[in-house]
Amino acid sequence: MMRGNPLLLKEFRQRMRTRRAPLVIMGYFISMALLTFLLLYENVQGQLTLLLPARGEQVFVTLGLLQMAVVVFLTPAFAAGAVSGERERRTLSVLLTTPLSPFTILMGKVLSSSALLLLLVVVTLPLYSLVFLFGAAVPQELVGVFGFQLLTIVLVAAMSVCWSTLALRSGWSTVLSYATVTWMVLITGLFGYGLQYAATRFPIDYFLLNWGQFLLRLNPLWIEAGLAGAVPGHFARDSLWFLGFYGSITVILWVLSSGRLRPQSYAFSARFRHGDEKDFE
Amino acid sequence: MIQTQNLTKKYGRTVAVNRLNLTVRQGTVFGLIGENGAGKTTTLSMLATLTVPTFGRAFVNGFEVCKHPHDVRMSIGYMPDAFGVYDDLTVTEYLYFYAECYGIKGALARRRSVDLLEWVNLQNQRKTYVNALSRGMQQRLELARCLMHDPQVLILDEPASGLDPRSRIELRRVLRRLRELGKTMIISSHILNELSEVSDEIGMMRGGELSAVAAVDALLDQTGAYRRLWIQAAAEPESWHRVLANVPQVLEYALRPQGVEMVFSGLEEEQAELLKRLIQSGIAVTHFGEQPTDIESLFLRLTERGVLPHDAG
Ligand SMILES: Nc1ncnc2c1ncn2[C@@H]1O[C@H](COP(=O)(O)OP(=O)(O)O)[C@@H](O)[C@H]1O
Ligand SMILES: [Mg+2]
Repeated sequence: MMRGNPLLLKEFRQRMRTRRAPLVIMGYFISMALLTFLLLYENVQGQLTLLLPARGEQVFVTLGLLQMAVVVFLTPAFAAGAVSGERERRTLSVLLTTPLSPFTILMGKVLSSSALLLLLVVVTLPLYSLVFLFGAAVPQELVGVFGFQLLTIVLVAAMSVCWSTLALRSGWSTVLSYATVTWMVLITGLFGYGLQYAATRFPIDYFLLNWGQFLLRLNPLWIEAGLAGAVPGHFARDSLWFLGFYGSITVILWVLSSGRLRPQSYAFSARFRHGDEKDFE
Repeated sequence: MIQTQNLTKKYGRTVAVNRLNLTVRQGTVFGLIGENGAGKTTTLSMLATLTVPTFGRAFVNGFEVCKHPHDVRMSIGYMPDAFGVYDDLTVTEYLYFYAECYGIKGALARRRSVDLLEWVNLQNQRKTYVNALSRGMQQRLELARCLMHDPQVLILDEPASGLDPRSRIELRRVLRRLRELGKTMIISSHILNELSEVSDEIGMMRGGELSAVAAVDALLDQTGAYRRLWIQAAAEPESWHRVLANVPQVLEYALRPQGVEMVFSGLEEEQAELLKRLIQSGIAVTHFGEQPTDIESLFLRLTERGVLPHDAG
């Protein structure tokens, strides 16, 4: 990937060169480690057996959800300026006169802006393994939770990069990216949960229940909790639905963004222009 | 080679470029001059495949910009008017990045970057971060960047803007050498003198249209042919008109409070004859002299436009 994408290589150079990157990673790892030990310690207290698997499960879920929330809200901060920033710094037009395809440009931006976050998730893997050692989770859960976190980061980064291409200014792109994340985490969570709660009060109303479930399935925290085994349900299927939904949105935004970067890549505009020319002559 | 056919770009109601027909022959340098808002940037960015024409066609290096944008991109080096740089890269990394975008890597990229940096006089800045370079140096780095993939055609939008006089001279030197290399170039500027030294042909844009084109050689040939004269004398406008309207060598004149300014095309003897006539018709001439002609007024003259700014009255 890196060999075929000069933009990615350049972005890594620029981003990893700053002293900020290792600091962020260190800081994040230390806080997560502290939190893990705190949670484990709290669970150990008052017990002779070290840790009950059920309690360990709680630690695993808490860590997973917290990490997911942090990472999802951090991603736009790295990705929302990806293309608009180039536009604002006046480097975009030259980039667009190179033969790089819009796909390469967008892909380079998505991977470079999510790289640090993917790294954040990967460095916390040992902490999870610790929890795992106490028998709090099964391997499939660990893989599911991690894989889902990584995919969610890439999806959020991709949507943010697209917003950054479609909105002309970084300010707007940041607003749109955070609106997306707010929808994903808060709106679907609150409304989904609210509707489900209402459905338990009025059990006849399938409408409420269906909508509640529909919204919750679009919430990364809900899926994450399910994958960690905290809530019952078909979470392998739900996570596919989640990925499919946001994946489709990403594809639509991606196509629009490619058109924004390279307006001549669309055949219909050429035909349109041709007609125009005839009118003129 | 660059050619446009009725190239037009509209932004809503604004017609930024209007039915532009221009041809830049292989290996020649075309200077595009015009005031701000004349449509130079829009024209060049259509040639660089960045802006899609509303209608009309443009060919660069034989490729149509809308139909074969990839081939066009492979054949051009484009420098936008207000360019930015990736400032957290070193000069060499900067050039390598763009080279790689064109699939140039390894030994070839290394050799090109060394050669080009020497060429634009930045050989001592190879390891310098781009943001530590002066504006003039960044401009030359941009030129080197344009040349990394050895394009046939260079499209340079106001390369001299924002430069101090020394950097301008340096830039002109580099541009002249590029011309000697046989690159086809189109360079825009709002100052004609910037272009006359490096161009073969000059076109003037006004309100989105190419209002005139002239070969620089022809312009320079005219240097002796047209003179701007300044005659200081107190006289009624009618007496001026009576004399000047009957002298065929006076191509143009404008009355000023202190006298008259004119464009004169003729021999020294004819100039003397004019002075004699003025005095004979009772105009008390206190000063009769030649003003330095700049290439700008020659251009305007050659393209049959007024040279002298006329006051409203
Ligand atoms: N993106 C744009 N949107 C709307 N109008 C534009 C845009 N770009 C240029 N124009 C208009 O087109 C005209 C030509 O502009 P430009 O090509 O930049 O001229 P120049 O480079 O000669 O100064 C101007 O009137 C300008 O306001
Ligand atoms: Mg301009």
